[in-house]
Amino acid sequence: MKLECTIDSKSLTLHVSSTKPLSLMLIEDVGVKSMLSHCRGKACGNCIVLVNDVAVLSCIVPAFRLKDAKIRTFETFQRTRLCRDIERAYRATGNKPCPDCYPSKTLLIESILTELMSSTRSREEGTVDEKAIMQELSLNTCPCMDATELLAITIQAFEYRRRRRGTN
Amino acid sequence: MEPTRSPMIHQPRTLNELSLLFQRIEKPLLWAGGTYLMSKSEYYPSPSNRQIIDLAEIEELKRINRTDRYIDIGSMVNASSLLSAGKLILPSILKSALGSIIGHITRRQITIGGSVCEPESRVAFSTALSVLDAQAEIRQWEEGRFTATWIPVNRLYDKDGSLLLRNTAFVLTKIRLGLEWGDFQRFVLIDNPIRKPDTAILVAFQATRNQTALTKVRFSASFPKKAFYISPELENQLSLLSFPVHPDRVNSISYEMVHDLTNRHESITEFQAERTRRVFESFLHELNIQTLS
Repeated sequence: MKLECTIDSKSLTLHVSSTKPLSLMLIEDVGVKSMLSHCRGKACGNCIVLVNDVAVLSCIVPAFRLKDAKIRTFETFQRTRLCRDIERAYRATGNKPCPDCYPSKTLLIESILTELMSSTRSREEGTVDEKAIMQELSLNTCPCMDATELLAITIQAFEYRRRRRGTN
Repeated sequence: MEPTRSPMIHQPRTLNELSLLFQRIEKPLLWAGGTYLMSKSEYYPSPSNRQIIDLAEIEELKRINRTDRYIDIGSMVNASSLLSAGKLILPSILKSALGSIIGHITRRQITIGGSVCEPESRVAFSTALSVLDAQAEIRQWEEGRFTATWIPVNRLYDKDGSLLLRNTAFVLTKIRLGLEWGDFQRFVLIDNPIRKPDTAILVAFQATRNQTALTKVRFSASFPKKAFYISPELENQLSLLSFPVHPDRVNSISYEMVHDLTNRHESITEFQAERTRRVFESFLHELNIQTLS
């Protein structure tokens, strides 16, 4: 099928099979370097990208659901201010994911921050449900980091995001 | 290398358009959330060129409707929107089942209809829905038209947990839940059924406490790719108990349950059976505590 979409701010027309998974399209047809694995829908959590600003597992999104979609991979996300909040949290806590899962874990944390910022209570009071965040973080199966380390990074990044939104 | 075959995709907007497609296409592949279909090893590239009907555009399948007597949940409602839209109207057991799916990213993609029709029962809905006596509206394609019937969710599967209708042309359009729920509801999921199907168990229990007795007892356990366990005999046996039950009796009932379970489903590992026994036992102990307090 002929698929028109925007990937990392570039308008593209791709000729792909209608059922091709987005993760494979990004690897084979677009050459996205931050996309390293295709787990064939086994939910390894290492292929997260943003489709129309919503985080998805790209291995379970078929090409036919991407008509006119705006896809953002880690390659453009890392240049945004949103990513800086998370990178600051990596530095502040002295921990960061391994190169294999760095893009996915960062986008996973971003999706959690988006959820938290959309909740009025969390945004205004800075309260978070640690158990729920731990469950969200377990979506990525790379064992390079301890769950509590990732939780600390997420809470720290949330604090930076709240402060930044508060000053805007 | 790009495979030469690219399945044709149809995106109907109404159930009428869907029925027109069923007239034209032989054995179409219905696409709900896609999480199960895309996790199959032969998914891509696939030699099959079955035409696909994507149900995502049919608004009628995305509605949640509550009346005085029941809640209807459209089959294309995803777990995330059901969880957020239904916090006030859903039974706690269904909320636990929805919450057990790892991450809002996955919850946004999994649809209730897709997970009920998924042939390996890896997702928790069916287990929870079966103890809630939920009914599924099934529209079967027979002799050139759809015929709608309501089927209890626990009758959609054989004892191995496989979908009985898998070789039939049908669409699941909605799930109906009555509003009379038991006051004791528990749902337990251990291990991720997608990542660890060999050790995962899903257990649901519902009952209404009536002084020292239980009424409307429902118990269901699922083992991904292996079994879907319900036992009216066990439920009757529990209804006859007078609480509190002596711990030795709790122990013996739990072993009887496991004996029945493993007799009916040989593929269940000892580990899974023991896990199920302990979870089941914990429900009875909890009922004992609530009776005594």
